[in-house]
Amino acid sequence: MNKQTQNALTPLSPSLHANVKAVRSRFGGSSDLVVRLFRSDAAPDRELAVVYVDGLVNASTINESIMEPLMGMALPEHAPRKGEKMIDALRGCVVSVGSVREVRTLDEALQGMADGLCLILADGSAAALTADANGGDQRAVTNPQTQTVIRGPQYGFVENIRTNISLVRRIIRSPNLHVQMHKIGRQTNSNVAVLYLHGVVDEGILKEVYRRLADIDIDGVLESGYIEEFIQDETFTLFPTLLNTERPDTVAAALLEGRVAVLVDGTPIALMAPTNFFTFFQSPEDFYQRYDIASFVRIIRYAAFIVSMLLPALYIAVTTYHQEMLPTTLLISLAAQREGIPFPGLIEALLMELTFEVLREAGLRMPRAIGPAISIVGALVLGQSAVQAGIVSAGMVIVVSFTAISNFVMPESNMAATSRILRFAFMLMAGMLGFFGIFISVLFMLIHMTSLRSFGVPYMSPMAPGPKKQGLWRDVFVRLPWWAVVLRPLDMKLRNPKRRPNGRKPAAQRHSDNP
Amino acid sequence: MQQIGKRQMSILIIVFLIGSTPLFELGIKAKQDAWIAMTLAAAAGLLLTVMYLRIHKRAPEAGLSELYMMHFGKWLGGAVGLLHACWFAYESMRNVRDVGELTSMALLTLTPKWIVMLLILLASAYTVSKGLEVFVRVGQLLFPIAAVSYALVLLLLLITGLPDIHHLRPVLENGFAPVWRAAFPDLLSFPFGQIVIMLVFWKYVAEKKEIGRITYWSQTGVSIFLIMMNVVIMSVLGPELASVSSLPLLEVVQLIRLANFLERLDVIVTLLLFIGLYVKMTALYMASVFSVNAVTGIAYRYCVMPIGLLIYGSSFLEPNNTYHIWIGLDITLKVVPLFQVALPLLMLLVGVRKKYKAKTKTS
Repeated sequence: MNKQTQNALTPLSPSLHANVKAVRSRFGGSSDLVVRLFRSDAAPDRELAVVYVDGLVNASTINESIMEPLMGMALPEHAPRKGEKMIDALRGCVVSVGSVREVRTLDEALQGMADGLCLILADGSAAALTADANGGDQRAVTNPQTQTVIRGPQYGFVENIRTNISLVRRIIRSPNLHVQMHKIGRQTNSNVAVLYLHGVVDEGILKEVYRRLADIDIDGVLESGYIEEFIQDETFTLFPTLLNTERPDTVAAALLEGRVAVLVDGTPIALMAPTNFFTFFQSPEDFYQRYDIASFVRIIRYAAFIVSMLLPALYIAVTTYHQEMLPTTLLISLAAQREGIPFPGLIEALLMELTFEVLREAGLRMPRAIGPAISIVGALVLGQSAVQAGIVSAGMVIVVSFTAISNFVMPESNMAATSRILRFAFMLMAGMLGFFGIFISVLFMLIHMTSLRSFGVPYMSPMAPGPKKQGLWRDVFVRLPWWAVVLRPLDMKLRNPKRRPNGRKPAAQRHSDNP
Repeated sequence: MQQIGKRQMSILIIVFLIGSTPLFELGIKAKQDAWIAMTLAAAAGLLLTVMYLRIHKRAPEAGLSELYMMHFGKWLGGAVGLLHACWFAYESMRNVRDVGELTSMALLTLTPKWIVMLLILLASAYTVSKGLEVFVRVGQLLFPIAAVSYALVLLLLLITGLPDIHHLRPVLENGFAPVWRAAFPDLLSFPFGQIVIMLVFWKYVAEKKEIGRITYWSQTGVSIFLIMMNVVIMSVLGPELASVSSLPLLEVVQLIRLANFLERLDVIVTLLLFIGLYVKMTALYMASVFSVNAVTGIAYRYCVMPIGLLIYGSSFLEPNNTYHIWIGLDITLKVVPLFQVALPLLMLLVGVRKKYKAKTKTS
C-alpha cells in the first residue's frame, strides 16, 4: 500500500450516483471506464452498477459470472434487501466469481479497478464489492528468449505475474511455496511477489528482502531491473549480486536451494538472491545433463570468462612488452603482420574492440529485415578489409573475435556484461604497464570481489572464505552426480540445509551372472 | 570484531612466509650447504613460534601491542608497541621496494619505479582499508594460483632434468662453522623469524584452541617448501653461479625450454613472486596499522593513509638495488633479533617473574 492512499482514504457514499460520479471524476472521464447501471430481480427497487476498466478485465467473466447472475437471479426470500447487508447477500448468493472482496473506501475501489477488478455498487450501501475478472490480452507462454537449453523445459515467464507464479507452482507442488505480494511504485502500483520455500529459506535473509523492498519509494516500476538496483547490496560495483532468469525451472531450483525469488509484474525476468560469484556460471542445463559433460562445460565457461576479460590485454602485453615470451617462429610471424600497422598495440586493440561493441549494439537495435547486412559489413568490411588495408593486424582480428565469442558462452548476461567492461580496464593497464598492469588490475578486482556480499553471503564463498560445511564444493567448479550433492549450495543459515538424507549412491540392482 | 578461520590462518602463514623468499638463494654464505643452514634456521624458527605461542596463550584476546602494554606497563609497553609498528612498516616498505626493483629488472625496464610501487601499495592500502577478513580471503584466492604455479615450475624443472645433485656435494666441506654462521642470525631473521607478525593476527582467529597445532603444521610445511626451493636453485645453478646472480630463481626458470614452446617462463614466475610480495607487504602494513590503532586509539581507518604514505615515502630512501639488498640482507638482519627474539623473550621472562596478573586486566 503506498503513501497516497494511506493519507487520503475517502469512504464510499451510500448514494450510488455519488459513487459513480466520484469514480468517473477520479478517472478523469477516461473513455475506457465502463459504467453499467441497471435494476434487476436480485435487488428490486435498488439500482445497481457494475464498473470496470475496459481491456483489463475478461469480457466473458463479466458477462457470464457477474452480469448474468445479477440480472437474472433473485435473492433468496430471507435475504436482507437493504444497505450493506444486501451487498453481503449479493456476495454470498449471487455473484459467481472466485474472488470477491468487500471494499468500503473509494481509494480501495479505484485501486482494485486499476488492478483489473470489477466494481459492483448498490444504491443505499456504503460498501461495494470488487470481483476478480482479471483478464485481457497478454502474451502466451512461449520459449524463453535469452536462456535457451537443449534438454529441459522449454517454456519461459511472460509479463503477467499471476501466470508466472502459477508456472512456478506447477513445478513445486507444495503448500510450503509461499508467495507474498507487495505493491511498489506510487503511480504504477506494480505487483511485486516474493517467493520462498517455507522451512528451507534463511529467515534472516527473507526479512532482509522484505525490509529492502519496503524501503523502495519510486513512482514507477517497469521492470525487475528497477527493483534490482534498489535492493542490491552494493551500487558501485561491476559485479551483479542478484541472479536474473526468465525460466520457471531456474526459479524453482533457486527456491529449492533456499534462495528467495522476486517476481515483478510486467516483465518475464525474475530476480533471485542471495547468490555468489560461482552461481553465475551455472546454466539450468548443467543439472539436466549428465554430470560429466556438465562439469566439463562448466570448466569451459570459467575459462571463457577469463578469456573474455583478459585475452586482448594479454595480447597487448605480450606484443608490446614481453615479446621474448613467444616462441621465435610465432614472434616473427606476428612481427611481420604488424610491420605495416600504424598504431601501437593498445590503440589497435581498442579500435577493434570498440568496433565490435558498436556492431553488437547495432545488431540488437537493427530491424530484423536488415539484420544480415550487419554480418556482411562486420565480417567482410571491418574484418577482412581492415587487415588488407593495413589498419589492424590479422592476429588482432583473431583475438578480438575469439574474445567476443567467449563472451557469449556466459549463461548469465549480466556477468558477461561485467567482463565486457572490465576488458577495457585490463587493456588500458596492459597497454601502459604490461603484465604488471594486468597483475595489479586483477588484484584490485579480486580484492573488490572478496569484499562483496549478496544479502550477507560472501560473494566468493565457498572459495574465500572457505566452505563452512564440507561438501559445498560438489557443485562449484564441477557438478558431482546428483546423489552426491547433499547440501544446498550457499553458506546460509538454512532451516533445512540438506537436500537429501545422505550422500550414498542408491544401490543398483545387482545383475545375476547366470545367463 | 573480525574473525578468521583456522584454514585462513594457515594460508596466511604459508603465503606470508613464502613471500619473496624463493627469489633469493638464502644462506649462500654456506655455499653448497645452504640448505643445511636453512634447515637449522627453520628448526630454530619453530622454537621461536613455541615462544610466541606461549606468550599468546596468556591473553588470547590481545594483539602484539596489547601484550607489550600488559607486560611492560602502559607507557613503556606503548612505546615499544609503536616501535614495533614502525618496524612492521619498515619491513613492508622493503617489500614495496622489492616489487619496484623486481619489476624494473625483470618486466618493465623503462617504466619509472615510483608508478609501479605506487600501484602495488595502492592495492595494499585498499586491502588494509577493507580489513583482515577481506585480506585473508584474497589470500585464499591467490594461494591456489601460487601453489599450482610453483608445482608446475618444479615439475618442469624435473622434466627438463636441470637439477644436478652434484652441485650439492661435498656436504659440509668446511665443517659446521660456516653453516652455523650462515644460519644465525641471518636466516632465522629472514624469513622464519618474521612469524612474529602472527602475534598481531592470532587474536582474530575464531578457533583459539587449534591455533598452536595449525601454526606448527603450516610453518613446518612452508619451511620444507622453502628448503626444497633452496635445494632446487642450488642444484641447478651450483654455488658459484648462485652466489653472483641477483635473482637466482629467475635465472633458473629461464633455463627451462620445453617442446620449443615453453620458454622464458621468468615473466610468469615474476608475477608469482608478486603474489608473495603483495601478501607479505599487506600483512606487515596491516600489522602496523593494527598496532598503532591499539596503542594510540586512533581509529583504524584514519591510520591507513598516513602509514601508507610513510611506507611509500621511505621506499625511495635507498638509492639503488645493490644498496637495498645490502641493507636488507645485512644491516636489517642484525637489528631484527631485537624484535623477533629479544623483546618477546623479555616478555616471556617478565611474565614469569610477575606471576602474570594480566588475565584479570584483560577480562
